[in-house]
Amino acid sequence: MINPSNGMISTSSTSANTQSPGLKTYFKTPEGRYKLHYEKTHPSGLLHYAHGKTVTQVTLANIKDKPAPSTLTAPPSGFSAGSGVRSAAARLLGTSNGSRGLSFAGGNGGSKSISSSSGGSSGNGSSSSSSSSSGSSRIGSLGTSSSSNSMINSNFDGKGTYLIFNVGDAIFISDLNSQDKEDPIKSIHFSNTSPVCHAFDQDAKDGHDLLIGLSSGDVYSVSLRQQLQDVGKKLVGAHHYNKDGSVNSSRCMSIAWVPGGDGAFVVAHADGNLYVYEKSKDGAGDSSFPVIKDHTHFSVSHARHSKSNPIARWHICQGSINGIAFSNEGAYLATVGRDGYLRVFDYSKEQLLCGGKSYYGALLCCAWSKDAKYILTGGEDDLVQVWSMEDRKVVAWGEGHNSWVSGVAFDSYWSPPNSEGTGENVVYRFGSVGQDTQLLLWDLEMDEIVVPLRRCPPGGSPTFSTGSQSSHWDSVIPVGTLQPAPSMCDVPKLSPVVAHRVHMEPLSGLVFTQESVITVCREGHVKIWMRPGASESQPSNSETISSTSLKEKPLLSSKIGSSTYKQ
Amino acid sequence: MGAAGSKLEKALGDQFPEGERYFGLENFGNTCYCNSVLQALYFCAPFREQLLEYYGNGKNTGDAEENLLTCLADLFTQISSQKKKTGVIAPKRFVQRLKKQNELFRSYMHQDAHEFLNFLLNELVDILEKEAQAVKSDPETSPPEKIANGPKHALANGVSKEPLVTWVHKNFQGILTNETRCLQCETVTARDETFFDLSLDIEQNSSITSCLKNFSSTETLNAEDKFFCDKCCSLQEAQKRMKIKKPPHILVIHLKRFKYIEQLGRYKKLSYRVVFPLELKLSNTVEDADIEYSLFAVVVHVGTGPNHGHYVSLVKSHNHWLFFDDENVEMIDESAVQTFFGSPQEYSSNTDHGYILFYESIGASNNKS
Repeated sequence: MINPSNGMISTSSTSANTQSPGLKTYFKTPEGRYKLHYEKTHPSGLLHYAHGKTVTQVTLANIKDKPAPSTLTAPPSGFSAGSGVRSAAARLLGTSNGSRGLSFAGGNGGSKSISSSSGGSSGNGSSSSSSSSSGSSRIGSLGTSSSSNSMINSNFDGKGTYLIFNVGDAIFISDLNSQDKEDPIKSIHFSNTSPVCHAFDQDAKDGHDLLIGLSSGDVYSVSLRQQLQDVGKKLVGAHHYNKDGSVNSSRCMSIAWVPGGDGAFVVAHADGNLYVYEKSKDGAGDSSFPVIKDHTHFSVSHARHSKSNPIARWHICQGSINGIAFSNEGAYLATVGRDGYLRVFDYSKEQLLCGGKSYYGALLCCAWSKDAKYILTGGEDDLVQVWSMEDRKVVAWGEGHNSWVSGVAFDSYWSPPNSEGTGENVVYRFGSVGQDTQLLLWDLEMDEIVVPLRRCPPGGSPTFSTGSQSSHWDSVIPVGTLQPAPSMCDVPKLSPVVAHRVHMEPLSGLVFTQESVITVCREGHVKIWMRPGASESQPSNSETISSTSLKEKPLLSSKIGSSTYKQ
Repeated sequence: MGAAGSKLEKALGDQFPEGERYFGLENFGNTCYCNSVLQALYFCAPFREQLLEYYGNGKNTGDAEENLLTCLADLFTQISSQKKKTGVIAPKRFVQRLKKQNELFRSYMHQDAHEFLNFLLNELVDILEKEAQAVKSDPETSPPEKIANGPKHALANGVSKEPLVTWVHKNFQGILTNETRCLQCETVTARDETFFDLSLDIEQNSSITSCLKNFSSTETLNAEDKFFCDKCCSLQEAQKRMKIKKPPHILVIHLKRFKYIEQLGRYKKLSYRVVFPLELKLSNTVEDADIEYSLFAVVVHVGTGPNHGHYVSLVKSHNHWLFFDDENVEMIDESAVQTFFGSPQEYSSNTDHGYILFYESIGASNNKS
């Protein structure tokens, strides 16, 4: 299975499952078979170095075609049309979708010119970033960028959908659709530290669209396009934050762009702190924060200096923050941590809204439903937890994993087979992966109780403004209350629709795309499972996009029940 | 050795817990099985407390016949009364006594830490029971009975053991209910048995939670293995399951990593990755008690086979995790505990695997002093 010529394991679409003898290459669901399409992995030499030190996370990144000035380009083939950009590390699932991915005029893919390392030169994007698109501040912070322009990576054609995954001290970038190119097409090495988490924003305005958090606490923002154009093994044109851990030297655990945040991003650390950065700021000012007086309570401090970057520190909990996720429009931020608590914040108000404790043990991952009504968490109690924002409590426990749950995600591309127009039943499909090497798929079916549609103003803070719905729990549970662990008998149980052993190693994450489910194991093997009906060779755009638009309907006519759950 | 001690002191700095002592234990030739378990027991706060208290009481009565209990109490007292905060102690008397008492541990062969723990706890109970019987005429000075509070657990039918609850019982003993349902007459027969630890079968890439679930899963008795139903007066097919009727205060979980492989005709070590959380609840209880446990010690087996290797222990003391390897004591980060889960695939170079887990119940507990 190892191709010794260049030390890379080549991706082979035909001989799938090369890494996993004895594992089935398909699994059945009510809607049909998911088939293993192919695997991605990394040079084998890293295997033992990587062992135990870092856990591989995968981020999906869609680089759009260079925006043509006046005409709308035809959608690029395959995944890039609709799969959008999702970060498994940040668990921001279900945000962008077909409709957004197709609006090519609005977005822009970052630096147009190969010779310039200064990032955004495209008028569309940089015009709106008021505080100077400040390319200069992020040139060559690693010192290698100047020499990197002479050679052009022949594997990169300027667009496409990529998988970004970390293994050991390296980041690998793989072309999601590539089966014949040398793969991964790019590796970036970090000395004396390891990348831990990453996030991608396809609508980044000035080219810097990829964030990387390291075990040393350091953070980089770069242009993915620029990395792909370069042939070196170092980051190019990177902007460096929290240099040498000067602000916080504990490990980065999770990183995320603030949706609609105009280049703002947050980094969660292993010491329970989360920092807010603005990528346009060079961070020259003093960025020290006051000593945390009470480690057990949530507190926010803003930088004293207007020039400093990070601009704010959120002390969230004792012990590590293991995962963070923004709701679709960025109104809410969810965090999970070592202390076993899920916490939900109103991001703009910097206020703790609600949260609750796991059955026992740490929580490891979290993800929002697209409509921001539900949060999934997974943790060391082997349970997949469904948290309802409406009820402000756990409404279901998914039992089925035989070990810790390390990745959860809603499948926002899935639509129930018989949802034709009626919208009687809202069914959410979600997936989870665990250290038991299994991928589980679940259906969360809500009851027939019709509640009035509550509009969520985009970007705003929708929850408590108006409506009779909100008042009932406001009176019962004050804002900011954390719920204790529920009793085993108090929580309805869910059973998985499907359980499939997908890897040989414990899993660390999953991503849903329009055509597939992507699973990744701790050791850095990635598998792409095609959805039923998705053609293996030529994924059809029209079919999948229309199904996405169908999906919108049931989500709008929302109804929330509480009692019945599909078995 | 001295340098290592001061290093630990430096690492802890002014966070060094008041009155606490961190001492390595000298190895007398393959006695790491003993050292690792002793450290785990020493940092089992209620056990240590009650042992030292017992020792204090014992001294007063002047009863000085040496046994394993007095040797253990001696050793713990010796550690806790050291002037220095860190260092090394030779558990010489204890090991000598152990070898004298049980020929199993007499050789210089590699021993099983779980067997030792089991032997030790049972031995301590025997000694305490004998003492209690000796002073039965004078109930006032009966130490075991005195500490007893909470509900008494009369052992249902079965072996007629005196329902004497010593402080060792109070810490470690739990009760399992073995429920057997005859598939012919539907009669449920429940038989209670006590335990000091739970020995769990393990599976690759699983969790302790999952192993506990399997432990309590329903098993069908049929074919060769039928059940004699008292009501039907004959062998019948039946369903059997084990539930925890009374969860212990200190939950000791033994992972069956040493498995007899018939084809090989010998024991083999299973290096499976079995994750254990720092907090745990038992769901296989008779009543939905939701008692929460917190991990405070792990005895780790290092090595590839059952007949050789090494034992070390991880111990949580005053919210710091410590690593005890015979003479050496080091501070480790909480996140380092997960490096002892095991290997997700067989070929791994990592051979340090959690073997015995010690959890203490936290919060609502009827016998927390």
